[in-house]
Amino acid sequence: MQSFFQTLVSGLSFGAVYALVALGFSLVYRTMGLVNFAHGAVLMIGAYVASTFYLSARLPFAVAVPAAMAVTAAIGLVIERVLRPLENKDFDLMLIGTIGAGTVLQAAAILTWSSAGRGVNSPVQTAPLDIGGVRIPGYNILVIAVTAVAMAALTLFLQRTRQGAAMQAVAMDHEAATAVGIHVGRSNAISFAIGAALAALAGALVGPMLYVSPTMGDSLGIDGFAAAILGGFGSVPGAIIGGLGIGVIGSFAAQQFQGYSDLVTFVVFTVLVMIRPTGIFGERTVNRA
Amino acid sequence: MSLPSSLASSLPSAARSPRAARLGGLAVLAVAAWLLPYQLNVYWISVADIAVLFALLAVGMGLVMGIAGQVNLAQIAFYGVGAYTTAILTTRDGFGFWTAAAVAMIATALTGIVVGTPALRVQSHYLGIVTLGLAVAFIDWITNAPVTNGDSGISGIPTPPLPGIDLSSQYLYYYLELIVLAGGLAFGLFVVHTPLGRRMRAMRDDPLAASAAGTEIRQLRMIAFVLASVYGGAAGVLYAGMIGYIAPETFSIADMFLLLAMVIIGGRRSLAGCVTGAVVLTIVQQELINLAAYAQLGYGLVVVLVVVFAPAGLVGIPGRLAARYRRWRGHTATSAALEPFQPLPAATPVAASGVAPGEPLLEVSHLVRRFRGVLALDDVSLTVRAGEILGVVGPNGSGKTTLFNVISGFYRPHGGSIALNGQVISGARPSQVSRLGVARTFQHLRLFGNLTAADNMLVSLDRTRTWWSWRYLCHPAGVWRYDRRLKRRAAELLAGFGLAQFAGALPGTLPYGTQRRLEMARAIASSPRLLLLDEPAAGLNGEERAQLAAIVRSVRDSGVTVVLIEHNMGLVMSLCERVIVLDSGSVIAEGLPAQVSRDPAVLEAYLGKSALRAPQATEAGP
Repeated sequence: MQSFFQTLVSGLSFGAVYALVALGFSLVYRTMGLVNFAHGAVLMIGAYVASTFYLSARLPFAVAVPAAMAVTAAIGLVIERVLRPLENKDFDLMLIGTIGAGTVLQAAAILTWSSAGRGVNSPVQTAPLDIGGVRIPGYNILVIAVTAVAMAALTLFLQRTRQGAAMQAVAMDHEAATAVGIHVGRSNAISFAIGAALAALAGALVGPMLYVSPTMGDSLGIDGFAAAILGGFGSVPGAIIGGLGIGVIGSFAAQQFQGYSDLVTFVVFTVLVMIRPTGIFGERTVNRA
Repeated sequence: MSLPSSLASSLPSAARSPRAARLGGLAVLAVAAWLLPYQLNVYWISVADIAVLFALLAVGMGLVMGIAGQVNLAQIAFYGVGAYTTAILTTRDGFGFWTAAAVAMIATALTGIVVGTPALRVQSHYLGIVTLGLAVAFIDWITNAPVTNGDSGISGIPTPPLPGIDLSSQYLYYYLELIVLAGGLAFGLFVVHTPLGRRMRAMRDDPLAASAAGTEIRQLRMIAFVLASVYGGAAGVLYAGMIGYIAPETFSIADMFLLLAMVIIGGRRSLAGCVTGAVVLTIVQQELINLAAYAQLGYGLVVVLVVVFAPAGLVGIPGRLAARYRRWRGHTATSAALEPFQPLPAATPVAASGVAPGEPLLEVSHLVRRFRGVLALDDVSLTVRAGEILGVVGPNGSGKTTLFNVISGFYRPHGGSIALNGQVISGARPSQVSRLGVARTFQHLRLFGNLTAADNMLVSLDRTRTWWSWRYLCHPAGVWRYDRRLKRRAAELLAGFGLAQFAGALPGTLPYGTQRRLEMARAIASSPRLLLLDEPAAGLNGEERAQLAAIVRSVRDSGVTVVLIEHNMGLVMSLCERVIVLDSGSVIAEGLPAQVSRDPAVLEAYLGKSALRAPQATEAGP
């Protein structure tokens, strides 16, 4: 029982990171109809920038992370501008264009930071919290808390601000949004920038839990995308539930099947998607046939 | 190095040019590829060997993604299954190379079925992540499983034995690969340009319209994945035999994306483009092997530029340049006029459908269809009699198109039944309904946008089942002859509809009225018993409407029963023998056009209650 809860705690911590990644995917998809396969690479850049500020520039972690988010938001704006001609068009081309952008970012990271990875020491040095024999590292609590705050802030932004409402309108019908005077291009750019900043937040948070390397974005991106689909693509609560779900499945798969955790996670994921293609919180329109 | 020059010679063959020039270009390319090893040193021949394998993988990707429109990010796993099965069977179980190769091909085809299964439920980005996830799962398995020897891989795979030829020579191995690639490419091109590939392209452009034309979408998607997997498996087997050692790093996600870049940069909708992309990127990668990160940066940038500025890839560039040159020279396309429609040969409904005129052909009884609580069809019963032209009218949102969609199998009814000539068809798939002899057109045109007018016709003319495609393996000559017959028939039909000179044009380049007529011709091409026309006159001018009326009458006189939804009451009055009025999902009136237009319930539905007080309101119409 104790090991069950231990695995659950670890799964939830990674799940919180996946939820952030999924949220970035969902936000961009909702507003632009664009599936951003460069998201994982942006996350990796965020992790590198944050760790550089934190380790080399010796900035406090709480400063390094927002700085990294600002940097990736700027990168997001560039990617959005380049791929703008493809928005709401041929899906294959968008997918491949973003994969191309991700490849460029990965190459840039190798050229800047070399292909060898780096470890990041945890900014929280307190002893793990012990609840009935289940040890919860202080850093994991921080990750879950930061994720929760980010989710809440984003929800408030989407529901309570003018710009958030405009983005929701674009998500529902970009032509109608244009007709009522919403600047769709700016709305898309903002959503892409927020998505990229969320990726950097996820990357910065996961740095001390994993190892920062140019390829770290590949698996995190795929897991995060799977989480978004599992929860229901385009839905904020879906991203949270899907992220936690993939985190917990992966964590138990790793404990039960050791090296085969990816295999088990994706086979389970494939079966779930086939049973319920719309995910847990459903998408309004799903291309099934 | 003469590879670039051989590539240059491939470009004319890809341009839009007459068949002779195309074949000539292909012959030049084949000779160049055959002579290539004489120009290469040992290092570059090994690069050429790899390039040919990637070309084979890319052709498989092109078939599934570019032709069938199914996102497949698991091609690298097919490559791996082919290579690992060969390696395990030869080194551990003592199989001979060719036996192992045969088993490996079967194993890969089965993997193709597994990877393709999700495509039955999900499409586009969902399919992308699922196939990518399955590729990750496969990579996870080969890096961990004892049978694949994990990270250290499998060594000591024997060279394929061939009497009299020592394939341990990289030069001779090149020829083996080249023959496999040439065969694979020839077969792929044969598929693309004959019924199977034409259906795949139609499915890619518009799965809904394709299924209404009789295409079995599910089976076709599976065939596409199996085809891709077989090409991947063949490349894997050849790789294992060439290198003699395999390890997980050859089958990484990065290589999957590289392969994707090859297909996109070359041109995903052209198999020649896929090969070009594979060859170019392999060479570039080898040239920059010591600057791997710069190479990656470069091909990433090129991918982005290609998708934004040249979506058709490298092979699309000559055609675009040629078009620009023609514009610059002042050649404008001569605008061809729509020719008059030639009446179809007359026949009785008995000959066409086995039902005597006036007898019920289609019986709809108590049909119910809901959309989240809204009753779109509320207990609709109606009979269509053989040989008649029946009009279905009603205000917007009254359920007319929903009725068509349920009849043609797009929606399942929530209650009631539909019988065609006594056979229950409610709940059947659109392709089954089409094969039973129901054709339709769409309110908003649904032509296959990237298929020529002639190909649009051919998709509908081909009435074979999907399993007919086994002939591609066992009796290709028969497929060829069948295709020739279909093409003759398509030319006749196009001529009859006055569309002969548009045969080679893409639908998007045609005037709207011409597109409408093409869609009608496509529906007739499936030799239906019952034709459903959804607002055929929408957007047509007066003259085109008159032509439409003549076509519909001729279609009826050829023995086809017609049901049409129409808002233009003049057309309904002049064309239809009987009219059914729908309102809020129910039949509110039925009878002769003149009777129905005076029916108080109809007037109320169209004009509201107050209109009844106005004595001059005699003709219903929006």
